[in-house]
Amino acid sequence: MTIGLNAFLIVAGLLFAIGMLGVTLRRNTLVIFMSLELMLNAVNLALVTFSRYNGTMDGNLFVFFIITVAAAEVALGLAIIVALFKRRETIMVEQLNALNR
Amino acid sequence: MADLLFYLFAAITLISALAMVLLPNAVNGAMCMIVSFLGTAALFVLLDAYFLAILQVLVYAGAVMVLFLFIIMLLNVDEEAPRAKPAKLSIFAALSGFTILSVLVVSLFNNPSALPEPPVIEVAENPLGPSAANGIPFTTSAKSFGYSLFTKYMLPFQVTGFLLLAAMVGVIVVSKRMTETTVKTEQSD
Amino acid sequence: MTPVTALTLTLLIPLASAAGIAFFLRRRGGLASTLSVAAAALLCICSFIAINARGDAAIVASWDWLSFGEFKVSMGFLLDDVAATMLAMVSFVGLLIHVFSLGYMKSDKAQARFFGGLSIFMFSMIGIILADNLIMIFVFWELVGFSSYMLIGHYLETEEAKAASKKAFIVNRVGDLGFLIGIVLAYWHFGTTDLTKMEQLTLGHPELVNAGIAAFLICGFIGKSAQFPLHVWLPDAMAGPTPVSALIHAATMVAAGIYFLIRISFLLPVEVLGFVAWLGTAVAVYAGFCAYAQNDIKRILAYSTLSQLGYMAAAFGLGYPGIALFHLITHAFFKALLFLGAGSVIHGCHHEQDIFKMGGLLKRMPITAITFAIGVLALCGVYGLAGFYSKDAILIAGGLEKTVIFILLTLGAFLTAGYMGRLFWVAFLGAPKSDAASHAKESPLTMVIPLLILAGLSVVGGMIQLWPEGLGALIRFDLERLHHAEGYSAMHHDVLIYGSAAWVVGLLGAFFFYGVGAKDDRLARIAPSVFAFLKARLWFDEIYGFYVSQVQDRFAAILSFLDVFLLRGLIIRGSAGLVGILGLGVRTLHVGNLHAYVYWFLGGLLLFWAFVGTVL
Repeated sequence: MTIGLNAFLIVAGLLFAIGMLGVTLRRNTLVIFMSLELMLNAVNLALVTFSRYNGTMDGNLFVFFIITVAAAEVALGLAIIVALFKRRETIMVEQLNALNR
Repeated sequence: MADLLFYLFAAITLISALAMVLLPNAVNGAMCMIVSFLGTAALFVLLDAYFLAILQVLVYAGAVMVLFLFIIMLLNVDEEAPRAKPAKLSIFAALSGFTILSVLVVSLFNNPSALPEPPVIEVAENPLGPSAANGIPFTTSAKSFGYSLFTKYMLPFQVTGFLLLAAMVGVIVVSKRMTETTVKTEQSD
Repeated sequence: MTPVTALTLTLLIPLASAAGIAFFLRRRGGLASTLSVAAAALLCICSFIAINARGDAAIVASWDWLSFGEFKVSMGFLLDDVAATMLAMVSFVGLLIHVFSLGYMKSDKAQARFFGGLSIFMFSMIGIILADNLIMIFVFWELVGFSSYMLIGHYLETEEAKAASKKAFIVNRVGDLGFLIGIVLAYWHFGTTDLTKMEQLTLGHPELVNAGIAAFLICGFIGKSAQFPLHVWLPDAMAGPTPVSALIHAATMVAAGIYFLIRISFLLPVEVLGFVAWLGTAVAVYAGFCAYAQNDIKRILAYSTLSQLGYMAAAFGLGYPGIALFHLITHAFFKALLFLGAGSVIHGCHHEQDIFKMGGLLKRMPITAITFAIGVLALCGVYGLAGFYSKDAILIAGGLEKTVIFILLTLGAFLTAGYMGRLFWVAFLGAPKSDAASHAKESPLTMVIPLLILAGLSVVGGMIQLWPEGLGALIRFDLERLHHAEGYSAMHHDVLIYGSAAWVVGLLGAFFFYGVGAKDDRLARIAPSVFAFLKARLWFDEIYGFYVSQVQDRFAAILSFLDVFLLRGLIIRGSAGLVGILGLGVRTLHVGNLHAYVYWFLGGLLLFWAFVGTVL
């Protein structure tokens, strides 16, 4: 394989930027949450890449932990979004502006 | 061949991620997200991280996204309606931010003089065994994970298990309270 | 009961009484007065038990009160001969004045406050007497200042009382500042403020006695005993109820200054002693002149108090602390008698205090008048009465040490007899000159009995050989020293003649000059300029008023300007304003919009990145 470290990192960085774009652009809380997952995924990619090119296992293990924690985070975050929806009947961020009142 | 596969999967990952972000319908977005995750898994395979690729498919593309889809259906939210007032400024800000970030990333990593390009290390099939507890070399085998998790990363492993338990309890508590007490108080308001 | 227990009780009983009155009996004047008088009686008994148990040795007891590392403050008792004599006088005279107050304050609206104040005063005064170190003395010294403030201001609805209590308090603070500096210096110099230890140190090393420290310490004496130039508060303090004037401003509190001098006499070098002697002499004469221009019976007595304090200071300064103490004790008897008699007169005349509106009281209030006459004679130093022995000794001491002081003090004695004669002839003889005086009648028994007892003491109190064995050892010692001084008998002879001549001429002069039961002041009539000069009292109040309004107030205005503009305006308001503006700015960031927060987060991230990448 002639693809180097930096090519993977460019992919990871662009993935992160796309996730960021989703967070700033979208108004649906669920989509924002998915974009966050995308950003996490970008980080995972970068970690695995470094791990591969460094020849050690540690980066892979970090990704393992990140996947686990992300699973827990998703479960809890979705529960909170559901609770929010039950209370406010909406998940659009511009209507969730109680802090500004 | 491997180079071609990299460009293919990288393109799939990025394009479907962009689609997820831009598609107005959340269900469509979730489907694109799954594709993006699968593309990432493929990239993991290209990086010889087979175990993580499987995990990625199982946990992310499988469990997490199924959960997302369930919630999207449960809440049955409409498509994002056109903004009440023209919010061109915020769209412009988001796009310009994205552009800046992308340009930064590309210019940073596409510059061989700035960053060294290390050679690809040959990897072994199987790890040496438990004796190599510190500084575990990269292998394609899932055994390496086992050795690492039960030696060097014992404590984080345990803590992660506990975190999963706590998350489970938290989800139950949040869901339960919202269905009973809060609804009651909302009605009484 | 051990002596220490008795002393502790002596100190704590009045405190308990004051606390009880303050917490439970504020609206029950009758009960409060009973409690206070009972406390005075009990403490009198306890103090006599302690004095009796003392024997020849001093009772010493001390407890650590505060300790900051090396620095320890102790609370303790030192009941030596001087303290015992003083304690006996204060507790006994205090008891009599308490009993007198029962009658005098009967119809007062704020009886509870008054008697609570008397109790707290007894507590503080006894604290001064028993204290074994300078810091404890200072603590009780300030408590005495507080209680006198409270009692002078008892008639708080009158402007005069309010102003007088403030004046007494503030003028005393001026003296106490010096006192406090003196204590600090003494601690720095001796490493202790314990009286016994300091005395031993100075005995071993006489060069340790320091004029600077002594000068600061006597500031306290000058303030409390109302000497030059801090004497201005004492005549004004007569705005308080008369028993208070008797207790505080004649018999005990102002005497605390003299007592304090005697306590620290080993710290005073010869130069300071000489200064005290001249100071006392000057006050004695000055106050004697001032008294001639006063028509208020209490203010005349106040100036006579000043004058007598001057005598004590002079005796002390001449090197005879025992004789100063002697005069302090006898003066306490007859001055308390005079003030209580004045109280009885004021009570009888429905609070008329102008002597030219009295007259003819001898017939209407015979007991008061006769006891008052005894007091006047004792004060003038008539042979055989209490004042004779002590004043005689002071004059002899003056004659032996410094002739000028002797002449001035004799002049003072003459002046004393003159104004006391003026007071007596005008107020008690002749015909009544106002309705109040013509309807005067004898005071009730609670007021008359203390008068009789004090009259008895004024007659026999000067005969030191009749005193109990345990008391007055220092007085006996100093009298003995005086008797064996060179030229004593000749001087004694002279003083007998001059002293007797002074009071005879004074009393008779007043009799012929003012006349019996005069309607107005003859001096003011025939020589108004002299009278006005005397009334101005050397313009001390005016000088202080000028100083305060022209110097102090301007300085205060500058400080106030600094405070308002620099501290409050710039620093406090300024910093608050700065934070407020910052808050206003930051609040605009708080938009409640998730996306806005993401942008801020992004901005922070970029900033951090730039910082790490050394772009910034």
